Amino acid sequence: MRSYIEKIEAHTTENLFMLGSSVSATASPAFPTGNSSERGLVEALRESEERYQMLLDGIEGYAIFMMDVHGVILSWNAGAERIKGYTSDQIIGHNFSCFFPPEDIEHGRPEEVLRMAAASGRYEEQGMRVRKDGSRFLASVTFTALRNTAGSLRGFSEFSHDLSESKQSGAKYQALLEAAPDAMVVVNEAGEIVLVNVQAEKQFGYRRDELVGQKVKNVIPDGFAERLMADGARSAAEALAQRIGTGIELIARRKDGSEFPIEIMLSPLASPEGILVTAAIRDISVRKEAEMHLAQMEGRYRGLLEAAPDAMVVVNAAGEIVLLNVQAEKQFGYSRNELVGQQVKNIIPEGFAERLIADGTRSAAEALAQQIGTGIELIARRKDGSEFPIEIMLSPLESAEGILVTAAIRDISVRKESEQHLVKTVGELKRSNDELQQFAYVSSHDLQEPLRMVASYTQLLAKRYKGRLDSEADEFITFAVDGCKRMQGLIQDLLAYSRAGTNGKELCEVSGEDALRGALTNLRITLEQSGAVVTHDSLPALMTDETQLTQVFQNLVGNAIKYRGAEVPRVHVSATKNGDSEWIFSVRDNGLGIAPQYFERIFILFQRLHGRNEFEGTGIGLAICKKVLERLGGRIWVESQPEKGSTFHFALPERSEK
Amino acid sequence: MNTIGSDARAIEVLLVEDSPGDVRLTREAFKDAKVRINLHVASDGAEAMDFLNRVGKHASVPRPYLILLDLNLPKKDGREVLEEIKMSPALKSIPVVILTTSASDADILRSYTLHANCYITKPVDLDGFLEVVKSIDSFWLSVVKLPHHPRS
Repeated sequence: MRSYIEKIEAHTTENLFMLGSSVSATASPAFPTGNSSERGLVEALRESEERYQMLLDGIEGYAIFMMDVHGVILSWNAGAERIKGYTSDQIIGHNFSCFFPPEDIEHGRPEEVLRMAAASGRYEEQGMRVRKDGSRFLASVTFTALRNTAGSLRGFSEFSHDLSESKQSGAKYQALLEAAPDAMVVVNEAGEIVLVNVQAEKQFGYRRDELVGQKVKNVIPDGFAERLMADGARSAAEALAQRIGTGIELIARRKDGSEFPIEIMLSPLASPEGILVTAAIRDISVRKEAEMHLAQMEGRYRGLLEAAPDAMVVVNAAGEIVLLNVQAEKQFGYSRNELVGQQVKNIIPEGFAERLIADGTRSAAEALAQQIGTGIELIARRKDGSEFPIEIMLSPLESAEGILVTAAIRDISVRKESEQHLVKTVGELKRSNDELQQFAYVSSHDLQEPLRMVASYTQLLAKRYKGRLDSEADEFITFAVDGCKRMQGLIQDLLAYSRAGTNGKELCEVSGEDALRGALTNLRITLEQSGAVVTHDSLPALMTDETQLTQVFQNLVGNAIKYRGAEVPRVHVSATKNGDSEWIFSVRDNGLGIAPQYFERIFILFQRLHGRNEFEGTGIGLAICKKVLERLGGRIWVESQPEKGSTFHFALPERSEK
Repeated sequence: MNTIGSDARAIEVLLVEDSPGDVRLTREAFKDAKVRINLHVASDGAEAMDFLNRVGKHASVPRPYLILLDLNLPKKDGREVLEEIKMSPALKSIPVVILTTSASDADILRSYTLHANCYITKPVDLDGFLEVVKSIDSFWLSVVKLPHHPRS
């Protein structure tokens, strides 16, 4: 059936025009009638008319009917009934304007097409038509003016068909359309939607029949219709051509009024009905969001890059700088444009590029991996050629362009300078310390010599001239010698203090009990003479200097016995752990005790609380303890009540450091 | 340099000491010695070495039986003198007594390492000093048998 119609289509228009004329003639009283043979002729005519009507009704694919000069319908074929939905009884006598959409009627379109057909004899158009049930379809319509032999207008014929079912290729086209992943909308030159697919229904939220016949402007408010319409200077085809094939981003509107971003591809389709435009419409909400997100991320990354306190340079596998921040511009003295695309070797001559480039045995990724994440100290070169020390941290960045390396570059001139300064200062300090040691040794040694002379010769004088001088002279000599001896004691103690804690031995594991035992051995005579009783708890082992710990115990236990009260001296040594890494040792006695106002003073060099005639000594012992302990990372303090005894505490780290 | 007497039966002792006061005190102390002592004095390290090696004006001096050596000396330090003596095959058999004001552990250790025969810190008071010199006399010059070196 279809193929038959297709074949005849090319011819039928002309033929049916003539046919239409004949048919209309039968219905019109204006046509001339015959003479004596009239009856036979009328009969023949009726037969002929019936045959033609049968022929017309046989053409189901086309609506064919006639109208008078005002558009009142005079005849109706089976095709018209099928396509428009009216039976001949329902429509004959009515005006053909009811086939037009209301808006077209309002604009006087029906009258206009008749006028145009009358003016040029024939008028063709593609336009929306309305069926009896109100649904719309795109129709291809040909109007022909019917004139009598005198040439006066007698009426019109309309020959039309529904474009959507017009061809087999149309069906294929429709199938193709439906299969498309995008919404597809076919629009005619008037901006009316003539065809849609199911995706379009979904995207816009309209049913197919609601979309077809609608102005495309209703679903794509801006940018689409304009492209279809010719302005004064351009034809529609030109307007289209300008944009065809390029993805245009527009805003679409759904039936519910909500809007969404679309990308639209236009392609023109020359058809017998004129130029149709197929629009492939893709909802790009997700892509737009992703793009926005990406832009945001990019913005953040850029912000991060610029906010970094270090110079940041991103380098590709070829060693070319692809990105940098403002600090990099400042540090290297180049503008951004000068640096981008430059070889990184130009600003970091050695050590960087080598790390990007693979040798025979390594891949670039391996070469990088080896050095990534470690701070490398290199030399950088500014635009003006001056060089400065840098520390560089590399991290790889997988990207579409291959492995990029982000380098954080820190100018370490200041740090380098301060490091050198520190080394110099430490050297100076050591030298000054050595000099002080030397000074203390030499001065105490050299001071002793004249002192010995004074003492010795004063005594020699006394020896030689005893009895020959008076008794006062002997007393004076005694004072002079005593002064010399005291001076010598002070010098020796000063020497001992200056050396305390400096003759550093290797630290080793020292048993607290061994150190105490050593101290007691050194104090053996004192212990025997005083009858002192020294007891101790279990004492821990420490990583410290054995000689010095022994010296501290010796001084503290020695003091406890020296400054004893009336009772037999009792000394107890204990230790408690303080926190994770420190021990506190305590040496408790039952001696004289110390008034609180002297708790600090007793640790100062040569400070004594007793007269020389009460106790011997220069006041060096506790000062040495304090110095030794502080050098081992410890501290010393006292708790005491006069007449009840004292407890000296000292803290030492479990592991001292020198 | 001065030498007391030149008694052939006396024991030759070299005192290396820069302080005239100490030289005098040492002399005083040796006055009461059990044996007769020929005390030769060198006032610095260089002169001590010249004496021992019989250089220049020391060409005909005797070889000492005992050397009393101070450590802190002008020109050549006592530690250098000690080292040279103990490195010298001809001199190393002569006992060297270090007699010094220094009581430092470092000096003591260093001296024995360089093969000093004994180390004595000078006591500050006269009696102590006299006692020390007397003990040197009684130990090194009376008790101890020293090697006899024929003059070369």
